[in-house]
Amino acid sequence: MNRTLLGFIRKELTQTLRDKRMRVLLFVVPVIQLTLFGVALSNEVKNIRLVSVFPPGDAVMQKIHDRSIASGWFLPVSTQKVFSDPFELIRSGTADAVLVAPPGGLTRALGRGDAKLQLLLNAMNVIEAQAMESYVSAIVQRTILEDLRLDPPEPSIQVNSRVLFNPGLETAIFMVPATLAMVMIITTMVMTNNAIVREKEMGTFEMLISAPVSPAEVIYGKTIPYVILGMSNFPLILGVAVFVFGVPMRGSLLVLVLAAFAFVCTAVALGTLISTFCKNQQQATLAAFLFLFPMIMFGGLFFPIENMPVSIRWVAYLDPLYHYIGLLRNIMLKGGGHAYVGTHILALGLMALVSVVWSFRRFRTTL
Amino acid sequence: MESISITARGLRRSFGQTVALKDVDLSFTAGHMHGVIGPEGAGKTTLMRLLLGLLKPGAGTVEFSQAGKPVDFDIVRPSIAYMPQQQSLYPDLSVGEHLDFFKELYGIERKAYEVKRDELLEITRLGSFVSRPAGQLSGGMYKKLGLMCALLRSPRAMLLDEPTNGVDPISRREFWELLYRLSDQNILIIVTTAYMDEAERCGMVHLLEQGELVAEGRPRELLMKENVRTFDELFLRRGGHG
Repeated sequence: MNRTLLGFIRKELTQTLRDKRMRVLLFVVPVIQLTLFGVALSNEVKNIRLVSVFPPGDAVMQKIHDRSIASGWFLPVSTQKVFSDPFELIRSGTADAVLVAPPGGLTRALGRGDAKLQLLLNAMNVIEAQAMESYVSAIVQRTILEDLRLDPPEPSIQVNSRVLFNPGLETAIFMVPATLAMVMIITTMVMTNNAIVREKEMGTFEMLISAPVSPAEVIYGKTIPYVILGMSNFPLILGVAVFVFGVPMRGSLLVLVLAAFAFVCTAVALGTLISTFCKNQQQATLAAFLFLFPMIMFGGLFFPIENMPVSIRWVAYLDPLYHYIGLLRNIMLKGGGHAYVGTHILALGLMALVSVVWSFRRFRTTL
Repeated sequence: MESISITARGLRRSFGQTVALKDVDLSFTAGHMHGVIGPEGAGKTTLMRLLLGLLKPGAGTVEFSQAGKPVDFDIVRPSIAYMPQQQSLYPDLSVGEHLDFFKELYGIERKAYEVKRDELLEITRLGSFVSRPAGQLSGGMYKKLGLMCALLRSPRAMLLDEPTNGVDPISRREFWELLYRLSDQNILIIVTTAYMDEAERCGMVHLLEQGELVAEGRPRELLMKENVRTFDELFLRRGGHG
């Protein structure tokens, strides 16, 4: 091999592999990620909370409900509360899908030749909604063929879907809030991390810590600007989401701003924490990428969290993107339930607090 | 405000297997200009960082006193300025922006700052480069800017780690003239340097070699005692690299 080229290759490898942190980032983290993703990520939608509304003695409806639960895709919902309006089951977050039998029951309607089964769907997540619709259609078909032994071609039970929160099942309405969250985390977490590490690498950090300033002043001084930048970016990208992509804004703008603030603070605090583990910008960039990748995967952007094994779902619960994407979709598409919004903003706040405290503990005023 | 004296006793610091500083005892007297002289790797930067608490010593202590009375480091810390050896300024910030930033960092009042800023710009002759980014300054100007940032808070002690390293001879001379002016203001100045000719510019020199204090005293007296004409000769005789 060309000796010059060999020299370059050897030098690059020596520089990259010399640091233990780089070896961990390059070889250990990807193995952990791959294992985690392999176990956790699946496009199949499961654990859909289903409520079936039908009069007592409606045998056909009971069959459809039983088949749905037995399929493994659906979970029965037991609720003490009586809902006069089946839509309220979706709006309140009690169920993801509601099967409503026609007046008098599906069995009777079938006898009349007018069996119309209504399916109410929560379409905040379009992928889930489409999956739910196709699952129910398949179950109804199998019930017709295997339990009722009726012959096609004409479906004797017609499933009419009513979609809530995203009636057109528009992918943009579902994807844009999540993309908004992703854009925000890149401009906050990654930038904060890089800015702090750049200070270390440039040598300006030595000047800063030798000055009569407290660690808190250095940390806040480095992070608050990115909270300001993150928040000033928010109206801009929210405007694009609402006015360009037509994402509805059904909840309170103030609550949405509060959620964005909690998220930006968490992302900046996480960026600061990551920076305390990195010596140079190469490590900072790689670390940010290795954090971002699982954050996006577990954030509910592409893969529903409900499908993941329970033992791995905690990874998603520790992911600020999961909480923020949930908040954005809930507030913008659904109007924002108090309990849901409160819980997830609190979760973000806790994450920010833990990250800040941890960063303070790791932040060194010595070289 | 009184100048500050610094005393190091039995200062030791290792990095892995390498001992950078070996049980060094040093006294830096208030109001004087001290030179810590030694070749590359003698332990000069480690000494400066230990004096400032930027590194923790493996053994030994650093004591501070003001008007002859011992004081805690935290009390005198705001009065001690430091100029690190490596590039410690922001290449994309201009001279003026640097001064503004350090004014905020040190919490200097606007009026006092404006007076100090004008005075510093005049003595460093950087007045016409206020809007030039630090990354576009010459080596000498860059060092002057570093010194200006350190001087903004009117320190009573200054620790300058190889401030003239990589600077052309004319800029080096200008820089030393600046230090003499400061020295006249009863400020303790500690300068490390690997340039042996600079040793003679100091009131007191401390010679470091491989982490050990090998000699100290007034420059002339030291040369006479060692029977050499220059510090270069002294180090060459000792087998150093200077």
